[in-house]
Amino acid sequence: MTLSAITQQSVGAGIFSSAFLLSILIWLPVIVAVGIAIMPNPRGRYDTLIKQIAFFANLVTMFILFIAYHQFENFLPTMQYEEKIAWLPAIGVTYHLGVDGPGIAMLMLSGLVGIASVLASIGIRERVRTYFALLLLAQASVNGAIVARDMFVLILFWGASIVPIALLILGWGGPRRVGAAWRLVGYWGLGTAALAVGVLALYAVTGGRTFDMETLLGTAQSPRIQIGVSIAMIVAGATRLPLFPLHGWLRDALAEAPVGVAVVVSGAASRLGAFLLLRVVIGAEPAAAHLLSPVLAALAALTVGYAALAAIRSVDIRHAGAYLAMVPGGITLLGLAAISPLGIAGSVLSLFTGGLAAALIAGVCATMSERAQTRSLLLLSGLAPRMPNIAWIFLLAAFALLGVPVFASFASEVMTFFGAFKTQPIGAFAVAIGLAITAVALAALLGRVLFGSPNSDAPGVSDAALGETWYLGILAGALLWIGLFPGGPKIPGTDTPLFDPGFVSQIAAGVSDITSNYTLPAPAAPAAQ
Amino acid sequence: MPVLLIAPFASFLLALSSVRTRRSASATAMFGTVVSLLLTLLVAWGLARRSTPYVASYQYINMSVAFSGPTNFQTFAINLVFHVDHLTVIALLMIEVCVIAAIGWHQLMGRSEPGAARFHALITLLLFACTGVLVSWDLAELFGFWALAGALTYLLLTHRWGFDEAASRARIALALPFLTDLSLLCGIAWLYARYGTQNLATLLPILHTNPGWTVRSIVVGSVLLFVGVAGRLALWPLSGWLTMTSATAPTAASAIAQSAWPVVGIVVLYRLTPIFAASNRQTLQAFLVACAVSAVIAGATSLVGNGPRRVITLAGSGAVAVAAAVVINGAYHQPATFAIAGVAAVLAVAPARAAALLAASTIANAMRTDDMAEMGEAWRRMRASSGALLASAIVIGLAASGALAFGVSSRSRLGIALGEAVLLLAVGAIRVFFGASFGILRRRRAFDPDRVREPEGARGFPYWLAVASAALLVASFLTGWLNFLDGQKHPAAGPLAIALWAAVAIVGFAACALVFTRGKDGALALSAFGGGFLGRYAAGGLGIVDRFLVEPTTDAGRRVSDWIAAGDGALGRFATASGQLALAAGRGPALPIVVGLAIVLAVVFALVAPGIAR
Repeated sequence: MTLSAITQQSVGAGIFSSAFLLSILIWLPVIVAVGIAIMPNPRGRYDTLIKQIAFFANLVTMFILFIAYHQFENFLPTMQYEEKIAWLPAIGVTYHLGVDGPGIAMLMLSGLVGIASVLASIGIRERVRTYFALLLLAQASVNGAIVARDMFVLILFWGASIVPIALLILGWGGPRRVGAAWRLVGYWGLGTAALAVGVLALYAVTGGRTFDMETLLGTAQSPRIQIGVSIAMIVAGATRLPLFPLHGWLRDALAEAPVGVAVVVSGAASRLGAFLLLRVVIGAEPAAAHLLSPVLAALAALTVGYAALAAIRSVDIRHAGAYLAMVPGGITLLGLAAISPLGIAGSVLSLFTGGLAAALIAGVCATMSERAQTRSLLLLSGLAPRMPNIAWIFLLAAFALLGVPVFASFASEVMTFFGAFKTQPIGAFAVAIGLAITAVALAALLGRVLFGSPNSDAPGVSDAALGETWYLGILAGALLWIGLFPGGPKIPGTDTPLFDPGFVSQIAAGVSDITSNYTLPAPAAPAAQ
Repeated sequence: MPVLLIAPFASFLLALSSVRTRRSASATAMFGTVVSLLLTLLVAWGLARRSTPYVASYQYINMSVAFSGPTNFQTFAINLVFHVDHLTVIALLMIEVCVIAAIGWHQLMGRSEPGAARFHALITLLLFACTGVLVSWDLAELFGFWALAGALTYLLLTHRWGFDEAASRARIALALPFLTDLSLLCGIAWLYARYGTQNLATLLPILHTNPGWTVRSIVVGSVLLFVGVAGRLALWPLSGWLTMTSATAPTAASAIAQSAWPVVGIVVLYRLTPIFAASNRQTLQAFLVACAVSAVIAGATSLVGNGPRRVITLAGSGAVAVAAAVVINGAYHQPATFAIAGVAAVLAVAPARAAALLAASTIANAMRTDDMAEMGEAWRRMRASSGALLASAIVIGLAASGALAFGVSSRSRLGIALGEAVLLLAVGAIRVFFGASFGILRRRRAFDPDRVREPEGARGFPYWLAVASAALLVASFLTGWLNFLDGQKHPAAGPLAIALWAAVAIVGFAACALVFTRGKDGALALSAFGGGFLGRYAAGGLGIVDRFLVEPTTDAGRRVSDWIAAGDGALGRFATASGQLALAAGRGPALPIVVGLAIVLAVVFALVAPGIAR
């Protein structure tokens, strides 16, 4: 492999400037993971040190991300922080990384979820070294899939995320971890295969010279090719997000996985499915998007409705949390199915807010089950007075899931619905009904678990530990911050941002390019009276 | 002007961060609410010196989403648009007065309620959210505050943690209003999708001029908006979230919910009537029919059952429904300016509902029963609470009379229906007074009637609230008050019309007085029977819905989950078996396997390939 580096200097000057900023976000966790894996740890003597290393690695990554977020130029339509190194020139593979508005949103999500997952894993006692090494590898693979600008590299990172997550579930999961891990491998493997088929089809159609994303997705294709590729991408995205009916892995994976792994899976790894649909189907296959948008809307409605109904009948709190974690994915998909500028913008914001909301509800259900020493909803009852911290966070998670104002999910839901009612009114109504059923499910869950009379047959309960409160607080706090200041706090009386340039402003970069294929035609003038 | 919002929010932050004891929590909440009241009066004084409302705008979200296409869809913005006029400040004053009374009552009567800090913090935040709804002129912003207020109302109504009945009844306080809130969101989204704006100032002028507008689009939007508002106005059958929690929620929470939401809802309904008016007459007729039916049925159901708080809730819902019908009727008859009379009626009903609930709860707590059949002698033993109950019941019964006199003909079908509703809810409201105040208070196990007395300090709040509602009732008959509320000139209602509509309510009062004088026990036994009958059929109906709709639907979801899991398992086992078969084949002799494989393939090919079989 020749290293003829074609690098592009990072855009903007500031505190930190590096030509390999995105590579740091990927390989720093890998290096730390390798370091943790090979460092000696006789009889668990350095367990605490390992946890600290993992935490600070995530903290450094988050710090770099914040700088990248601040230096990000939201008025540029092109990719930023690009890195391009020829890797396998014989088949046209380059190590090409870059990020735009949606990408920066996903990276921020991954960073926050990464820190939360480490904090949620503070309670791991067995094989700590291996656990945190695998966790960091999972985070690195998710980051890589987000920033990859070469489809071959994307497939590699996409598939690479399966192994550490499956091993984490298999090694540290609950009683049914084996089935859960295999289901995850099966579904995500199917999705990876579908992704590979779609990418190879694009590769073949474009002459088989390069896997570069801009070339593959920028080349005009016939509608038939677009539809075929889009269907493959929808299968890949549906297995990952997940969407009904390719969601079979979700319940057991989130229920049996350790809390930190459940947070990573529901918060960041699963969002890659919607991210892929945004990039490929909506961003590059407009003819197919127009044709398949009713299918996407139907999938969104089915996902939200099914998830809510299944949550109502759950008798296991972690199962209920897993089903409820599907709801934000359905709303994101509705925004994509709307194929209107506002709907797509709403779905970009929903990538971030939905990931946080899903991680929060899955995490709080998992934490509650651990603290209450049971997962059975027949035993869990009246916990609010005895677990006030978890109870309040549970309430916040429920409201965030429903899109109550003050949370960032409100803005994304408003934008999604506003954008969807023009082009997909039936789908939008159906998703709204699904949300109403979700409210019923949450009302039943909250009423039973938190506000009912205590169950004397239930095991003893304890409130959240400091680490658990922190990780849940980070997720809820991020939702509240973006919800209260979506455009960033400003100096009073001016439009000058205080210390946050505004999340909504930053993620808008590149959205107009994606939506340029879907601008609505000007309606006809009203007939003369 | 933003201080109207900042004051209650600051009070909430103070309560959240520093308050721990019950007394300090209630003092902080009371202080914050009183400050808000003073600030509202200050703004009202400023408004009195100018002819135009206060308007201010702040950016919340501004996102560029497209570079081409219609200009109004290239950027999406939600602005915090604050619009304060006379109606806003009066409505806000009413809510603040009700909140102050509820907090004051709760300070004395709610000592046994748990979670005082939490309770009072939520009240101040609810005041913040209600203020936000009233001052919002951007529909997305309005929905934001509206949904926030809804979530806080749920938290207040489910405040009693650790009680199964409270928890199970409070579920409906989240689920049912959320459904109608979604309808409101869908209506706003529907209108935005067609007009590209959600600011009322820019939307209303272009309802009939925007390219691409159709009557159908306005009709659909109007229906969605109306359903959304009707849910929070608690118009029957959407009143369950109030009636089912009236006895299980803390009284102060119930009083605030039943006073704040009607005011907020009727103001929003009033502001949305231009959109309704832009649709067609059939839509408005449907809304009128819905309001009338809601009023009649709410009034009728307030006659059955002996739970005083439930009866007051239903009677109040009926009065609000009548007022809503007047508002809609104002849009139906163009040009019509009497819609504001409906708003004025609700401004009188809201404090009356709160006063009646507080007074009824005081009496129920003192007599240790929630059954009117076991109550009695309150007029002798608890004169202040009983008097407050009487005044509130009269206001609830008469509140709609002024509004009806302004805008509804007594000879129309709508007039007859609403007159019937007024009669029924007058009977329903006043029977709580008669049931609690007269008749013998019987001795029961562990209950001595001689120990029943007015609790010190708590008597004042329902009493003064009832006085305020009575003052507003009188004002609602005056055109000067209506002129002040909406800044327009209104013709005076004829004295005969006022007398006629008031007579309907007075006939209801008299009829109830007659019945209770003749035989209170018989009347209450009949209403208990009716309540039991209704309860059984309602439970039966809900059971049928649960058995034939809810259970099969949710069961389908569970079955699909199980099937998918079973299917995955079968697929996995198949994969394992095929893998084992492949391994076994690899260890076995090659020639027989190849021959066998060739035979199998030949047979399969022969079966599937056409022509070969021939």
